[in-house]
Amino acid sequence: MARTRFSNARIAGLTCTFPENEVSTESLAISLGVNARRVVSMTGIENRRVAPPHICASDLCADAAERLISSLGWKKDTIEALVFVSQTPDYILPATACTLQHRLGLSHECAAFDVNQGCSGYIYGLWLASSLVESGLSRVLLLVGDTSNRCVSEEDKSVAFLFGDSGSATAIERAEATSHFVLGTDGSGARNLIIEAGQCRQRPNPGNCLRVEVEGGKRRPTELFMDGSEVMAFTLREVPPLFEQLLGYAGLQRGQLDAVVMHQANKFLIDNLARKIDMPTDRIPTSFLNFGNTSCASIPVTIATRLRDAVSSNPLTLALMGFGVGWSWSACTLALGPIPVPEITFLK
Amino acid sequence: MKTPEQFYRDLEEMLELDPGTIKGDESLDTLNWDSMAVVMFIALADKNHGVAVSAGDVRKAASVADLFAILSK
Repeated sequence: MARTRFSNARIAGLTCTFPENEVSTESLAISLGVNARRVVSMTGIENRRVAPPHICASDLCADAAERLISSLGWKKDTIEALVFVSQTPDYILPATACTLQHRLGLSHECAAFDVNQGCSGYIYGLWLASSLVESGLSRVLLLVGDTSNRCVSEEDKSVAFLFGDSGSATAIERAEATSHFVLGTDGSGARNLIIEAGQCRQRPNPGNCLRVEVEGGKRRPTELFMDGSEVMAFTLREVPPLFEQLLGYAGLQRGQLDAVVMHQANKFLIDNLARKIDMPTDRIPTSFLNFGNTSCASIPVTIATRLRDAVSSNPLTLALMGFGVGWSWSACTLALGPIPVPEITFLK
Repeated sequence: MKTPEQFYRDLEEMLELDPGTIKGDESLDTLNWDSMAVVMFIALADKNHGVAVSAGDVRKAASVADLFAILSK
């Protein structure tokens, strides 16, 4: 298990941006002939923001970044690295982080790179950004977002109701602060959450760009496949021990945590995890109700929408946990706040 | 380990069936069993029976008896 303790990197601020376009579970359920009440009861998701074709994750992140930088009063030439975490980048190449460096007007002396992680991605990004700061950089911009719906078949009931699109920006700077990270991987689970075609293993071709009948509806090989039963079994198996390892490594007790912010997979899964890790649900904030599963951005989305007032005015001790596609998992404890959290915005 | 009857009541509650509906020899096809039920069963096995079941085993189950056998593994 990869474990890291940092003592000189802190989050200076964060915010999120969403597409304005909203899709309700009820309207989609009607069009798919599905019982909306059962879907909402299981997923907890009533509405999601879905990006129109002209909005990419990079656009959402760029908007969040501009507002955050302005709110912090950071001069752009003081940002020494930009990390973009996403599984829906603009291109196969170049790295979207390079285009974002230019769009945001950051210095040519700024390092910029992409990281391909989903559910575990935000904490991966924090871990990398903190590592960069501990190793000498002063300021790092972490942009984390996905437009997952671009890769989801709205005719596949196993995934059509789950995902929301969003982008986040988090500023990390050199300052005295302690955080503990635990990360892990089990690639034997790769086949359970996968987009098989469209990259180099299976290039797009006329055959794999057609939707075919699958269990739960219709899907192209270039669209997301998810085996929800394997996701459930994996999560119940790996995440509770991850939480125990994190607490032990950080030397914290449950009662010292103001909140545990988990990847917002869905209500059923989070309810079961809350039970397994023995944390009261009032200390497990959620954002899936109105934003769905926002992939790698679900943790900053939850902080920006559910903990905004608290972290704007008080220091909170948080545990963050991400788990899923890969299989990949990550968790950290950190002190957050008081920091600027500019109000979320919506892009047309 | 719960008795078969206790398990049937758990399963009825999970599937929102009237108590006493399940006798033990039902095919899952007759009980609105679907992919969502598979996910719910994995959680039920963990919560009510303290058993970490294989998702593949649950997906292959065809009857209530198969599900009970998975819990007994």
